[in-house]
Amino acid sequence: MFCPQCGASNADKAAVCVQCGRSLQAAVPAAPVQTPGVVLPPGAAIQNYLVFAILSTVLCCLPAGIPAIIYAAQVNGKLQAGDIAGAKTASDNAKMWCWISFGLGLGICVIWGILAMVGMIGHLRPR
Amino acid sequence: MAFVVLATAGAMLLRLFDPAHSLIFPPCPLRYFTGLYCPGCGSLRAMHALLHGDLRQAFAMNSLTVILLPFIGYGLVTEIYRHLWECPLVERRLPANWIWSLFAVIVLFGIARNLPFHPFDLLAPGALLHL
Repeated sequence: MFCPQCGASNADKAAVCVQCGRSLQAAVPAAPVQTPGVVLPPGAAIQNYLVFAILSTVLCCLPAGIPAIIYAAQVNGKLQAGDIAGAKTASDNAKMWCWISFGLGLGICVIWGILAMVGMIGHLRPR
Repeated sequence: MAFVVLATAGAMLLRLFDPAHSLIFPPCPLRYFTGLYCPGCGSLRAMHALLHGDLRQAFAMNSLTVILLPFIGYGLVTEIYRHLWECPLVERRLPANWIWSLFAVIVLFGIARNLPFHPFDLLAPGALLHL
Protein backbone atom coordinates (compact mmCIF):
# COMPACT_ATOMS: atom_id res chain seq x y z
CA MET A 1 0.00 0.00 0.00
CA PHE A 2 0.99 3.62 -0.37
CA CYS A 3 1.29 6.04 2.50
CA PRO A 4 -1.58 8.56 2.31
CA GLN A 5 0.74 11.28 3.62
CA CYS A 6 4.00 10.98 1.65
CA GLY A 7 3.08 8.40 -0.98
CA ALA A 8 5.97 6.02 -0.17
CA SER A 9 5.38 2.35 -0.97
CA ASN A 10 4.97 0.18 2.17
CA ALA A 11 4.34 -3.48 2.96
CA ASP A 12 0.60 -4.23 3.10
CA LYS A 13 0.68 -5.03 6.83
CA ALA A 14 2.99 -2.21 7.82
CA ALA A 15 1.90 -0.36 10.95
CA VAL A 16 3.72 2.87 10.13
CA CYS A 17 5.15 4.37 6.96
CA VAL A 18 8.84 3.51 6.45
CA GLN A 19 9.52 6.98 5.07
CA CYS A 20 7.52 9.48 7.16
CA GLY A 21 6.42 7.37 10.16
CA ARG A 22 2.71 8.07 9.69
CA SER A 23 0.38 5.43 11.17
CA LEU A 24 -1.04 3.23 8.42
CA GLN A 25 -3.39 1.15 10.58
CA ALA A 26 -6.07 3.57 11.64
CA ALA A 27 -7.98 4.70 8.63
CA VAL A 28 -8.64 8.40 8.44
CA PRO A 29 -12.08 8.81 10.02
CA ALA A 30 -14.59 9.61 7.33
CA ALA A 31 -16.16 13.02 7.53
CA PRO A 32 -19.76 12.84 8.76
CA VAL A 33 -22.00 12.14 5.81
CA GLN A 34 -24.12 15.16 5.14
CA THR A 35 -26.52 15.24 2.26
CA PRO A 36 -25.27 18.04 0.06
CA GLY A 37 -27.51 21.05 -0.04
CA VAL A 38 -29.52 20.00 3.00
CA VAL A 39 -28.66 21.92 6.12
CA LEU A 40 -30.90 20.96 9.03
CA PRO A 41 -31.66 23.79 11.41
CA PRO A 42 -30.35 23.34 14.96
CA GLY A 43 -32.73 21.28 17.03
CA ALA A 44 -34.22 19.58 13.97
CA ALA A 45 -33.64 16.22 15.60
CA ILE A 46 -35.61 17.14 18.72
CA GLN A 47 -39.00 15.46 18.57
CA ASN A 48 -42.08 16.72 20.34
CA TYR A 49 -44.03 13.41 20.35
CA LEU A 50 -47.23 15.36 19.72
CA VAL A 51 -48.77 12.60 17.60
CA PHE A 52 -48.38 10.01 20.33
CA ALA A 53 -49.61 12.43 22.97
CA ILE A 54 -52.81 13.07 21.00
CA LEU A 55 -53.23 9.39 20.19
CA SER A 56 -53.07 8.44 23.85
CA THR A 57 -55.36 11.26 24.99
CA VAL A 58 -58.04 11.19 22.33
CA LEU A 59 -57.98 7.62 21.08
CA CYS A 60 -57.07 5.78 24.25
CA CYS A 61 -58.71 7.89 26.97
CA LEU A 62 -55.44 8.16 28.87
CA PRO A 63 -55.04 11.27 31.03
CA ALA A 64 -51.23 10.89 30.97
CA GLY A 65 -51.37 12.19 27.41
CA ILE A 66 -52.33 15.67 28.72
CA PRO A 67 -48.90 16.50 30.20
CA ALA A 68 -47.35 15.01 27.05
CA ILE A 69 -49.26 17.56 24.94
CA ILE A 70 -48.16 20.38 27.27
CA TYR A 71 -44.51 19.34 26.91
CA ALA A 72 -44.93 18.99 23.13
CA ALA A 73 -46.09 22.60 22.98
CA GLN A 74 -43.11 23.59 25.14
CA VAL A 75 -40.70 21.84 22.75
CA ASN A 76 -41.91 23.90 19.81
CA GLY A 77 -42.14 27.09 21.84
CA LYS A 78 -38.58 26.76 23.13
CA LEU A 79 -37.25 25.90 19.66
CA GLN A 80 -38.96 29.02 18.34
CA ALA A 81 -37.22 31.02 21.05
CA GLY A 82 -33.88 29.37 20.20
CA ASP A 83 -33.62 27.53 23.52
CA ILE A 84 -32.23 24.21 22.25
CA ALA A 85 -31.34 22.83 25.70
CA GLY A 86 -34.76 23.71 27.10
CA ALA A 87 -36.43 22.11 24.09
CA LYS A 88 -34.42 18.94 24.66
CA THR A 89 -35.56 18.77 28.29
CA ALA A 90 -39.19 19.31 27.30
CA SER A 91 -38.79 16.67 24.59
CA ASP A 92 -37.49 14.16 27.15
CA ASN A 93 -40.44 14.96 29.42
CA ALA A 94 -42.91 14.55 26.56
CA LYS A 95 -41.33 11.20 25.72
CA MET A 96 -41.51 10.09 29.35
CA TRP A 97 -45.22 10.95 29.58
CA CYS A 98 -45.89 9.11 26.33
CA TRP A 99 -44.27 6.02 27.80
CA ILE A 100 -46.20 6.44 31.07
CA SER A 101 -49.32 6.64 28.95
CA PHE A 102 -48.32 3.51 27.05
CA GLY A 103 -47.58 1.67 30.30
CA LEU A 104 -50.90 2.75 31.81
CA GLY A 105 -52.75 1.62 28.70
CA LEU A 106 -50.98 -1.71 28.72
CA GLY A 107 -51.67 -2.14 32.44
CA ILE A 108 -55.35 -1.36 32.01
CA CYS A 109 -55.60 -3.81 29.13
CA VAL A 110 -53.95 -6.56 31.19
CA ILE A 111 -56.14 -5.89 34.25
CA TRP A 112 -59.24 -5.71 32.05
CA GLY A 113 -58.24 -8.97 30.37
CA ILE A 114 -57.86 -10.68 33.75
CA LEU A 115 -61.18 -9.26 34.99
CA ALA A 116 -62.94 -10.36 31.81
CA MET A 117 -61.54 -13.87 32.15
CA VAL A 118 -62.41 -14.11 35.84
CA GLY A 119 -65.88 -12.93 34.94
CA MET A 120 -66.22 -15.59 32.25
CA ILE A 121 -65.03 -18.32 34.60
CA GLY A 122 -67.55 -17.05 37.16
CA HIS A 123 -70.32 -17.44 34.61
CA LEU A 124 -69.20 -20.96 33.70
CA ARG A 125 -69.24 -22.19 37.30
CA PRO A 126 -72.24 -24.45 37.99
CA ARG A 127 -74.69 -22.96 40.48
CA MET B 1 -42.92 -1.44 11.54
CA ALA B 2 -44.19 -3.09 14.72
CA PHE B 3 -46.40 -0.07 15.14
CA VAL B 4 -47.96 -0.50 11.69
CA VAL B 5 -48.63 -4.20 12.37
CA LEU B 6 -50.18 -3.39 15.76
CA ALA B 7 -52.32 -0.62 14.28
CA THR B 8 -53.57 -2.89 11.50
CA ALA B 9 -54.38 -5.65 13.97
CA GLY B 10 -56.17 -3.12 16.16
CA ALA B 11 -58.19 -1.82 13.24
CA MET B 12 -59.25 -5.35 12.27
CA LEU B 13 -60.34 -6.14 15.83
CA LEU B 14 -62.16 -2.84 15.93
CA ARG B 15 -64.00 -3.59 12.71
CA LEU B 16 -65.02 -7.07 13.86
CA PHE B 17 -66.10 -6.25 17.39
CA ASP B 18 -68.31 -3.39 18.46
CA PRO B 19 -66.70 -1.77 21.54
CA ALA B 20 -70.19 -0.85 22.77
CA HIS B 21 -71.19 -4.50 23.20
CA SER B 22 -67.94 -6.41 23.40
CA LEU B 23 -65.79 -7.24 26.39
CA ILE B 24 -62.48 -7.31 24.56
CA PHE B 25 -61.98 -3.52 24.69
CA PRO B 26 -61.32 -2.05 28.13
CA PRO B 27 -63.55 0.83 29.25
CA CYS B 28 -62.26 4.37 29.73
CA PRO B 29 -60.66 4.37 33.22
CA LEU B 30 -61.96 7.87 34.00
CA ARG B 31 -65.53 6.91 33.11
CA TYR B 32 -65.21 3.60 34.94
CA PHE B 33 -64.15 5.19 38.22
CA THR B 34 -65.80 8.62 38.19
CA GLY B 35 -68.65 8.34 35.70
CA LEU B 36 -67.30 11.41 33.88
CA TYR B 37 -66.61 11.51 30.17
CA CYS B 38 -63.03 12.20 29.10
CA PRO B 39 -62.16 13.91 25.80
CA GLY B 40 -61.55 10.48 24.29
CA CYS B 41 -64.70 8.71 25.45
CA GLY B 42 -66.54 7.22 22.50
CA SER B 43 -63.49 7.36 20.25
CA LEU B 44 -63.28 3.56 19.94
CA ARG B 45 -67.00 3.39 19.05
CA ALA B 46 -66.41 6.27 16.64
CA MET B 47 -63.57 4.35 14.96
CA HIS B 48 -65.74 1.25 14.84
CA ALA B 49 -68.48 3.24 13.12
CA LEU B 50 -65.97 4.81 10.73
CA LEU B 51 -64.58 1.39 9.79
CA HIS B 52 -68.14 0.52 8.84
CA GLY B 53 -68.50 3.73 6.85
CA ASP B 54 -71.02 5.29 9.24
CA LEU B 55 -69.80 8.86 9.53
CA ARG B 56 -72.97 10.04 11.27
CA GLN B 57 -72.66 7.50 14.06
CA ALA B 58 -68.93 8.19 14.36
CA PHE B 59 -69.51 11.93 14.68
CA ALA B 60 -72.15 11.39 17.35
CA MET B 61 -69.86 9.17 19.40
CA ASN B 62 -66.88 11.52 19.50
CA SER B 63 -66.92 14.51 17.17
CA LEU B 64 -63.46 15.63 18.26
CA THR B 65 -61.90 12.32 17.24
CA VAL B 66 -63.52 12.43 13.81
CA ILE B 67 -62.33 16.00 13.26
CA LEU B 68 -58.81 15.23 14.48
CA LEU B 69 -58.41 11.93 12.62
CA PRO B 70 -57.10 13.41 9.34
CA PHE B 71 -54.48 15.36 11.29
CA ILE B 72 -53.56 12.33 13.39
CA GLY B 73 -53.19 10.34 10.15
CA TYR B 74 -50.96 13.04 8.67
CA GLY B 75 -48.93 13.15 11.87
CA LEU B 76 -48.48 9.38 11.82
CA VAL B 77 -47.28 9.48 8.21
CA THR B 78 -44.65 12.10 9.08
CA GLU B 79 -43.57 10.11 12.14
CA ILE B 80 -43.19 6.91 10.10
CA TYR B 81 -41.28 8.85 7.41
CA ARG B 82 -38.95 10.29 10.02
CA HIS B 83 -38.44 6.85 11.51
CA LEU B 84 -37.66 5.21 8.15
CA TRP B 85 -35.46 7.91 6.60
CA GLU B 86 -34.19 9.53 9.80
CA CYS B 87 -35.03 13.01 8.65
CA PRO B 88 -38.20 15.03 9.01
CA LEU B 89 -40.68 15.01 6.13
CA VAL B 90 -41.46 18.66 6.65
CA GLU B 91 -38.91 21.11 8.00
CA ARG B 92 -41.44 23.54 9.40
CA ARG B 93 -42.73 22.85 12.86
CA LEU B 94 -46.16 23.65 14.18
CA PRO B 95 -46.15 27.05 15.89
CA ALA B 96 -46.32 26.45 19.65
CA ASN B 97 -49.53 28.50 19.82
CA TRP B 98 -51.28 25.94 17.62
CA ILE B 99 -50.39 23.15 20.03
CA TRP B 100 -51.56 25.25 22.99
CA SER B 101 -54.83 25.90 21.15
CA LEU B 102 -55.26 22.22 20.39
CA PHE B 103 -54.60 21.48 24.05
CA ALA B 104 -57.27 24.01 25.04
CA VAL B 105 -59.75 22.51 22.56
CA ILE B 106 -59.21 18.99 23.92
CA VAL B 107 -59.59 20.09 27.55
CA LEU B 108 -62.63 22.31 26.85
CA PHE B 109 -64.24 19.51 24.85
CA GLY B 110 -63.66 17.18 27.80
CA ILE B 111 -65.31 19.66 30.20
CA ALA B 112 -68.15 20.68 27.87
CA ARG B 113 -69.37 17.16 27.17
CA ASN B 114 -69.92 16.61 30.90
CA LEU B 115 -72.13 19.69 31.30
CA PRO B 116 -75.66 18.37 31.81
CA PHE B 117 -77.50 21.13 29.91
CA HIS B 118 -78.21 22.02 26.30
CA PRO B 119 -76.35 22.32 23.96
CA PHE B 120 -73.29 20.83 25.68
CA ASP B 121 -75.07 17.58 26.54
CA LEU B 122 -75.08 16.87 22.79
CA LEU B 123 -71.32 16.34 22.97
CA ALA B 124 -71.64 13.27 25.22
CA PRO B 125 -71.00 10.00 23.38
CA GLY B 126 -74.04 9.05 21.29
CA ALA B 127 -76.20 11.99 22.34
CA LEU B 128 -76.52 13.34 18.80
CA LEU B 129 -78.18 10.09 17.76
CA HIS B 130 -81.17 10.79 20.01
CA LEU B 131 -82.01 14.19 18.60
